Amino acid sequence: MRVFQLQRISAVAMVVFMTMHMIVVHYPPFHIDFSIILERMQNPVWKVIEILFLFFVLVHALSGAYAVLIDYENVARYKKLIAVLALVAGIVGFIWGTLTVLAWQPPT
Amino acid sequence: MYKTTGFISFLLRRVTGVALVLYLFAHIWVLGSAVDGPETFDARLNVVQSPFFKIAEIALLAAVLYHGFDGMRLLIVNYFKVTDARKSLFYAVFALSVILVIAGGIPILLFMFEGLGG
Repeated sequence: MRVFQLQRISAVAMVVFMTMHMIVVHYPPFHIDFSIILERMQNPVWKVIEILFLFFVLVHALSGAYAVLIDYENVARYKKLIAVLALVAGIVGFIWGTLTVLAWQPPT
Repeated sequence: MYKTTGFISFLLRRVTGVALVLYLFAHIWVLGSAVDGPETFDARLNVVQSPFFKIAEIALLAAVLYHGFDGMRLLIVNYFKVTDARKSLFYAVFALSVILVIAGGIPILLFMFEGLGG
């Protein structure tokens, strides 16, 4: 799969997830803290939605950053290295982000 | 070349895209603190509740909306025969973004003043 295809597919997913995210989490603005987010996150469906959102955000952001970087000739020479860095950043981000989502557990 | 709608949209797409990737790192730093427990998360989230960050949030909203609508415009231009409407679509992206930045920005400001007053 080409990078631009990754970007387009994730772009469509982003429109869906971002619209939902803005309406549910930010509009209208209200006070946010751990316990308030927990009310929503106690539902496992929301945890799944957030992890999917995380996945598409990372794909879109990193494939976009990769495309921007290799657009510059003197950087394009390092495209393999940049691809590896993007992949590592994506894996680290996905693991950390998933652990973050799963951190929303009721206090024991 | 530098005054064509194509170049302007390319530049804005790139600038907002890079800004959003940089924001994503900051966002993960704040939210990711939840793995260290609710207290750490609330403390770190509190850092980004100041008026400075509220104003920055409006800029963030503008970047997200513009980048998103511009992306939808690109998908439409790519997959549908809309050659005649290309310029209109370009301006529609700005119009929609401005309207929604106002619709979203005013509540952010009101919420900010409410926080300052209380």
